[in-house]
Amino acid sequence: MAQLISIDPVTRIEGHLRIDVEVENGVVKDAWSSGTMFRGIEMLLKGKHPFDAQQVTERICGVCPLVHGTAASYNLDDALGVELPDNARLIRNLCLGANFIQSHILHFYHLAALDYVDVTAVAKYSGNDPALAALRDKVAALAKAGDVYPFLPRYESDDYVSDPELATVLVSHYVQALEMRKKAQEMLTIFYGRMPSFVGTVPGGVTVHPTVSNIAAFRARLTELRAWIDNVYVQDILTVAGVSAYAPFLTAGDSGGNYLAYGGFDQDSRGEEKFLPRGYITGNNVSSVGTFDENKLTESVRYSWYKDECEWLHPKEGKTEPDVHKEGAYSFLKAPRYDGKPMEVGPMARMLVLAGLELSGKRKEKKLLPLVEKLGLGSAVDACVKAGKFGILPRHAMRALECKLLADEMDKWLDELKPGEKIWDKRSIPSESYGRGLVEGPRGALGHWIHIKNKVIENYQCIVPTTWNAAPRDKDGNRGPIETALIGLPVPDPENPINVVRCVRSFDPCLACAIHVIHPEHNGVREFRVV
Amino acid sequence: MVEKKGVTRRQFLKYAGATAALLGLSESLIPEIARALEELSSGKPPVLWIQGQNCTGCSISFLNTNYPMAAEIVLDKLSVRYHPTVMAAAGDKAFGVLEETAKELAGKYVLVVEGPVPTAEGGEYCTFGLEKETASFHGYQRRKDKPMTAWMEELVPGAAAVVALGNCASFGGIPAANASVTGTKPVQEIVKEIAKDKPVINIGGCPAHPDWFIGTVLDYLINKRVPELDRHNRPKMFFGKLIHENCERRAAFDAGLFLEDWNDDNPDMKLCLFKLGCKGPVTYADCPTRRWNSGVNWCVGANAPCHGCAEPSFYKDLSPLYEPLPEVHFAGLTPMVDTLGWIGAAATAAGIGAHYLYKQLGKKEPEGGES
Repeated sequence: MAQLISIDPVTRIEGHLRIDVEVENGVVKDAWSSGTMFRGIEMLLKGKHPFDAQQVTERICGVCPLVHGTAASYNLDDALGVELPDNARLIRNLCLGANFIQSHILHFYHLAALDYVDVTAVAKYSGNDPALAALRDKVAALAKAGDVYPFLPRYESDDYVSDPELATVLVSHYVQALEMRKKAQEMLTIFYGRMPSFVGTVPGGVTVHPTVSNIAAFRARLTELRAWIDNVYVQDILTVAGVSAYAPFLTAGDSGGNYLAYGGFDQDSRGEEKFLPRGYITGNNVSSVGTFDENKLTESVRYSWYKDECEWLHPKEGKTEPDVHKEGAYSFLKAPRYDGKPMEVGPMARMLVLAGLELSGKRKEKKLLPLVEKLGLGSAVDACVKAGKFGILPRHAMRALECKLLADEMDKWLDELKPGEKIWDKRSIPSESYGRGLVEGPRGALGHWIHIKNKVIENYQCIVPTTWNAAPRDKDGNRGPIETALIGLPVPDPENPINVVRCVRSFDPCLACAIHVIHPEHNGVREFRVV
Repeated sequence: MVEKKGVTRRQFLKYAGATAALLGLSESLIPEIARALEELSSGKPPVLWIQGQNCTGCSISFLNTNYPMAAEIVLDKLSVRYHPTVMAAAGDKAFGVLEETAKELAGKYVLVVEGPVPTAEGGEYCTFGLEKETASFHGYQRRKDKPMTAWMEELVPGAAAVVALGNCASFGGIPAANASVTGTKPVQEIVKEIAKDKPVINIGGCPAHPDWFIGTVLDYLINKRVPELDRHNRPKMFFGKLIHENCERRAAFDAGLFLEDWNDDNPDMKLCLFKLGCKGPVTYADCPTRRWNSGVNWCVGANAPCHGCAEPSFYKDLSPLYEPLPEVHFAGLTPMVDTLGWIGAAATAAGIGAHYLYKQLGKKEPEGGES
């Protein structure tokens, strides 16, 4: 007999997410994803000085402020006609890259790992490593005191990694990762002042000159992080993915086969070549990467708590008028669609687009495919391709591979910095102008749009990664990517729907970002300059 | 007790010393702090950390704590029973902890609230956890969303103290800019309606500095009383001094050396950010001496203006962020400053030297530099 399981709060993500699944015979038959918090700071930027946009929008989210500040900077650069100095481009790349590293490490260890590792198994560690034995004593003492918060309670499951040796190593990495992610934050504050809520990027460039000493300070931390990513993070992912009980997750949790990436990390001053490429994939056809067309973006609010006049508009024309009593609605998220289709965004989308371009020869210098081979992941990828499905494990693995590729590239960007050269292109605010900034954040494709009128902000818009991933159904009844990914997952015990949260967390949702935040009400169609 | 935990006396005193430094206390208090911390370790105070209209930035900032380390705080010093970003449990297993703790440990737990509370539409603008009551949903009777307001009513009465973490929770912050729709209220207003005399400590900052939070909690646990607060209910030990008074670039200000183009790099003196909009003259926080992210840097250190993020008036009343503070009459408080709601304007007048007055009086930059 079918039953409905409601999970609220979905913890270890950013923000307020509710998931409902309909389970029949131990398998998910249907799913609903609901964002349950609304701030609506849409009116905040209207009438404000355009330079404020970056400081305000980075406060959309405290986990991924970097990408909002970066998108806002590029958006304003575009509106002001800035010619970005190379130093500024490179420093923006380096700091956003540092935030990717921070975010990806945080995600795997602190947000996801407790779904796979049995912390209580640490108490049974019998090895001789003094550090691990100390960890065992600590966990044993907590257990004895009957206070194992925040690790217990949890969903119980018989497939946790419970080998004491392995569990203890992984938990020790959980603790190490706290310090590593902190180090990544410190690294970017060398140029950006502090984290979260950083100050080092402004329209036209950045505020800190590269110097021999700050480059060295950055590189010292980066080198340590690169070694840790290679030797710990990537290896841990491979270890967990290799647990035989998790083999079905190679393909289970597939979001429907559509992927979108705006591309990020400019390799030249005009942003024509990007380290993470732009493109989209449909029907899991990885070898055929389509050319992104911004005009094909629309948003549906059929099942969202917004008035019907907000329905099926290009985000740039979008309206955000809440209606919490709307019949049939179940989320504060809108449902963005590309060419009418739901799209998964994020590390897996980016890596599949990159793989597609490397496979077809459009990306000459191959980086991802050799890495996949080197790590012995060829057969796993082949299995996904054969099944036409990329599930929970590839989503985690590609996040780690992206982290590695990016950290390695950052070392080269450091070499390109030129102390003593320009960091800022000073421009005046035009009386009227339009701008856009399309970038990639840790969680996926992010777009900011601005309209400046009378030297102040007339209109400011964002479309945010998790709005894509955690979207509700659209006007045609198509489910959002997370909703689709949940269908078919095994839920043998309705009291402990562990696989549901495993799947949801593999997307690294960020709900504060997702709920359409900066969206001044206005009427009429706006033309935006598409570069 | 200490030795049993595998910590040497020496390490423990070092820890106590770091705590003293964190709280800005005299080293002579180290033995006393060590004793208090030792007592603490034997019975960890329960903490319930809930999130309203937040961005999780203050949680992330907490994880950036340098000393003591986050793992130490979470495992050794506190019993963090509920924290949505950290805890293993989800769904009913997660919010069940809130219900149990409220019942079983009434009067004992510290309630930390990140983000303000929306009150419009019965609290529907922020919900987590499930009500007992159900509603029809695709042929099922589905449990309803439980509003943040209902959680506040359930959790505030039994809290030993309430900590409003960050500017949004303390003063409404960015979500309050849309209060006409969502009915957003700062935590202290909600608490006042539920339990008039319940102590609320506001830790400002967007985000709150980890030291400000951890220092306040340790101080509260060691001394068993709410620390001395200013008129905005912020701990004076962290929010007692004007940034401008303690700024490493104060000498540049006094010399009239201002940064106006980010390409300028004065080899002799780091330039003052006042003309690029620095709100240091109206902002009370110890950023210049404490710095951020393990002391690596801070906003002014990155050649960027202070935006005043620890003030109740942030963001709305401090915008435009990159424009100099308007004509402050240096001889005293002016009506204009008063109406803009700049907290600490009187101190600004006193804090800003006469030098700027002579050099820059009446000169206001056009928007975004030269136009």
